[in-house]
Amino acid sequence: MATTTFSTRRPIAPGALGRLSRNPASPWRHVDVVLIGCVVAVAALGCLMIFSSTRGRNPADFDTSYLARQLLFIGIGAGAMALTALVDYRRYRELAPLAYLAVLLLLVLVVSGLGSEKKGTQAWFQLGPFQLQPSELAKIVVVVTLASVIAHFESELDIARLGAVLAVVGVPMALILLQPDLGTTLVFVAVGMGMLLIGGARVRHIVALTAVGVSMVALVLNSGMLESYQRCRLTVFVDQESSDCAARDAGYNVDQAQVATGAGGPFGKGLFNGTQTRLDNVPEQHTDFIFTAVGEELGFIGSGSLLALLGLIAWRIWRTAQMARDPLGTLICVGVLSMFVFQVFENIGMTMGIMPVTGIPLPFMSYGGSSTLTAFIAMGLVLNVHMRRFS
Amino acid sequence: MNPDSPRLRLSVLGVVTFSLFAALFARLWYLQVMANDEFQVAAEANRIRVVAVEAPRGRILDRDGQVIVDNRVSVQVTVDRSVLGELEPEERHAVLSQVADGMARSGIPSTVEVLEERIADDRFSPYVPVPVAGDVPEDLKIWIDEHADELPSVAANRVAVRHYPYGQLAGHVVGYTGKISKEEVDSVTRELAETKPYTLNDEIGKSGIERLYESELRGTPGVRRIEVDVDGDPVRIIDEDPPAPGDDIVLNLDIDVQAVAEQALQGGLERARQRSCNNCEAPSVGAVGSTVVLDPHDGDVLAMASFPTFSPADLVDGISGTEWSFLNDRANRYPLNNWALQGQYAPGSTFKPFTAQAALKAGLIQPNTVIYDDGVYEVPGCRGDSCRFSNDNSKAFGNVDLRKSLTVSSDFYYYDLGARFWIDQDNVGGPEAMADRLKEWGFHADTGIDLPSEQSGRIPSPEWLRTYCDDVGTCSEDDRAWRTGKSVNMAIGQGEVLVTPLQLASAYATLANGGTRWVPQVVREVRDGVTREVKRTIEPKKAGTVEMAPDWRQAMIDGLVGVTTEEGGTALGAFRGFPSDAFPVAAKTGTAQVNNKAPTALFAAFGPRADPSFAVSVLLEESGYGGATAAPVARRLFDVLSGTEPLPPASPGGALPVDTQLSPDPGDVRD
Repeated sequence: MATTTFSTRRPIAPGALGRLSRNPASPWRHVDVVLIGCVVAVAALGCLMIFSSTRGRNPADFDTSYLARQLLFIGIGAGAMALTALVDYRRYRELAPLAYLAVLLLLVLVVSGLGSEKKGTQAWFQLGPFQLQPSELAKIVVVVTLASVIAHFESELDIARLGAVLAVVGVPMALILLQPDLGTTLVFVAVGMGMLLIGGARVRHIVALTAVGVSMVALVLNSGMLESYQRCRLTVFVDQESSDCAARDAGYNVDQAQVATGAGGPFGKGLFNGTQTRLDNVPEQHTDFIFTAVGEELGFIGSGSLLALLGLIAWRIWRTAQMARDPLGTLICVGVLSMFVFQVFENIGMTMGIMPVTGIPLPFMSYGGSSTLTAFIAMGLVLNVHMRRFS
Repeated sequence: MNPDSPRLRLSVLGVVTFSLFAALFARLWYLQVMANDEFQVAAEANRIRVVAVEAPRGRILDRDGQVIVDNRVSVQVTVDRSVLGELEPEERHAVLSQVADGMARSGIPSTVEVLEERIADDRFSPYVPVPVAGDVPEDLKIWIDEHADELPSVAANRVAVRHYPYGQLAGHVVGYTGKISKEEVDSVTRELAETKPYTLNDEIGKSGIERLYESELRGTPGVRRIEVDVDGDPVRIIDEDPPAPGDDIVLNLDIDVQAVAEQALQGGLERARQRSCNNCEAPSVGAVGSTVVLDPHDGDVLAMASFPTFSPADLVDGISGTEWSFLNDRANRYPLNNWALQGQYAPGSTFKPFTAQAALKAGLIQPNTVIYDDGVYEVPGCRGDSCRFSNDNSKAFGNVDLRKSLTVSSDFYYYDLGARFWIDQDNVGGPEAMADRLKEWGFHADTGIDLPSEQSGRIPSPEWLRTYCDDVGTCSEDDRAWRTGKSVNMAIGQGEVLVTPLQLASAYATLANGGTRWVPQVVREVRDGVTREVKRTIEPKKAGTVEMAPDWRQAMIDGLVGVTTEEGGTALGAFRGFPSDAFPVAAKTGTAQVNNKAPTALFAAFGPRADPSFAVSVLLEESGYGGATAAPVARRLFDVLSGTEPLPPASPGGALPVDTQLSPDPGDVRD
């Protein structure tokens, strides 16, 4: 795994903790405990909801297999977050090209036939009992690489440099679109746009890029590139009633997701009491549709609190972006923020019927190893920038 | 501020982020707070399936508590047409031939063709599996269950079906049940549909008591609420209202008397077929007949037989198309019909007591009025063949009073009454007077019996004729006019007069009790299906009264008792050897002429004279003279009703022994 290589590079120096009390600029004095607290709280809630939606259909069932695996993923993720925070982010600049090429290689391999296919998308490497999704790791690598590149250009993004930036984000994006994984591709669009905005791209370039992006989406939707079920998933949210997609799975999925969320009401049905959740009426509930379990069982109080926690995380990332001591730090945070906010909005929006259905996990909540690991590493980057804002 | 300032741009990003979160909050508020109710309903609908659990149907018992109908479990083989329809032709054939082989191994001969015919039968609802075989042995069920994978669409289920301990006895009265049809689903009363809702696989009473007392007999289906998962598979039972059995219906019928009535009726028809019918226009057919026994005290129906019979048990597991066509074929005289109340016949001489009462009431005669009967009656002031009416064989009876007119069955006496009703209409109450008086006996109207499909018969009158002609539209001016001859014919129960055997028995019961017309009632009480407590008693219902002065009654009953006891009485032969001193029977024979067919043989009677407990009517279609073929059937009934011969307990289950040895043969009786 590309990320684990970071840890071997620089073990914790003996005495590093010893300096904590004396040096006011010591990174260890500036760890963002609010962010960590929020992440831990969301991940804990995620475990609870994953358990609720996978424990079995009978009220008496208590299947803990998914819960156990998710706890393991969170453990690995937390470790990876700590390791990511440990190494000064400025050192990642040197590592970025290597990591970027490694990720590109993995992406090529996964679409070339070595990857495993599930539901028409070739996005996984099957590693024993676990699955590795290179597109998840690619998000982190692209954020860091892009930050390095834009920081290197010192915010002077003329058309040539803009082209270079677009190439950095575009190549992995194209490979992921080949899988095809539209959701993750869109994450790259969000990350790219966010980082270009902060990185100093001209306003007219951003407008032009947006126009090109919109027309390309229109082109893709109307061309034969997408299978009809994919097109339905994307457009069903616009017209849930009359479209011929409504009768298909996509409409069903969105319907059931909203029924679950809506049925929760202000106070929810109570933990483990959600019938839509227990009886598996919402497909993919423990992964992409985990928010509906919160909605049904914990109601507006619970899901609103979750949204608030996620908002708090976004605010801490944004705040860190502002406080970063250099453009690289700001850009890394902006990349993570764009990725995080887009995923939260797309994922929750999709379960509530205001966004198209694309397979994007909800950070720290959705069941899954690669996505959990990515989310934690991303927070590790933010913690890294935050704690080193004075050093 | 410089638009390129990173701070400003970061703020823009912050605002965008904030707006996106705000949008999520707004949508969440809408879904969970504003539209919560709607989604809650949807979630419950997702989760809960309500399944009806069929309840056992109530039983039907006779007046002594003998069980005529109850329930038992039958293993039924069904084929689901929707599943079968999706198979390839070869596959379909393979499945069905396997089923046919399996059935054959279990001793039920069948072929693919027979099965296909059953499956194609459109009498079964397309939404429920078609029963192709009922009462199959347990080993066939085991075989089908074990081979479920190889036999798509085929199932063997245990179902509760109607059970008839007495076989086909009283089949017309109790009726039969069957799968509810689409039309029946729509036609059940709202109250019944709400308290005992039907599903497409449910049984419903199709005829007889089963149909009329459907709302009592039907059990209240249980409701089971099941939680299902996304695949529709049951996860657990949430709660259940257990089914409640339907109410028991206790009949006024005495199953032992019913058995005798059915046996005697079949014996009478058998004998009619064997006898040659002298002077008849056609040979006797003896294919259709009916017998009714009423209690004159209250209208209780003690027995009601109709021939040809059918066995309700044959219709239990669904019936094959050929059997069903057999039951509905005119050539087989519609075995499902209850001719005792659906058949309408000219009553012939059995009608005479009613003409007599009408004439007495109109003042046309007194009981001792004597009319000279010279055998041939000519309508006054009319010449020609159409004005001449003769006794059977033109036999002259000489001086005839009311008593004798009944005993010897003088047509002449009644021709005269009929003619005078019309000719003297200004003195007797107008042109409708005769018909109106006769209708007081319950003719030309439903008796109100608690059985479906009753026919109301007909008493013709000038007004009726006009209405009839208006409806038909092909009457000539001559046809429309009422003539004396019509009244003359009507007086002896011929012409356009039609009665049902039930009406005839009811009218004789009215005569027997002195003029109170009771509604004939089959059902005695409704009992709770579980506690057996009486929930409702059906009280006798008075339908009307007929004026009957004591001296009229005296003369009429004298005359009618003479029929079975006096020399010259038309049923003396049939009642030879009967203990008439101890149990005098008042009776009247009837022989109604039918164009180009053997006459309808009728006999109506009641007894014992002092306090009549039984009123009986017997009618045999195309069977010759009433005294010769119908009277012996009643004689057999009176043998057991009077206690002269022991009343044999009806034999459960077994085939009905036909009573061909009706005793004694009355010889060649006229009328």
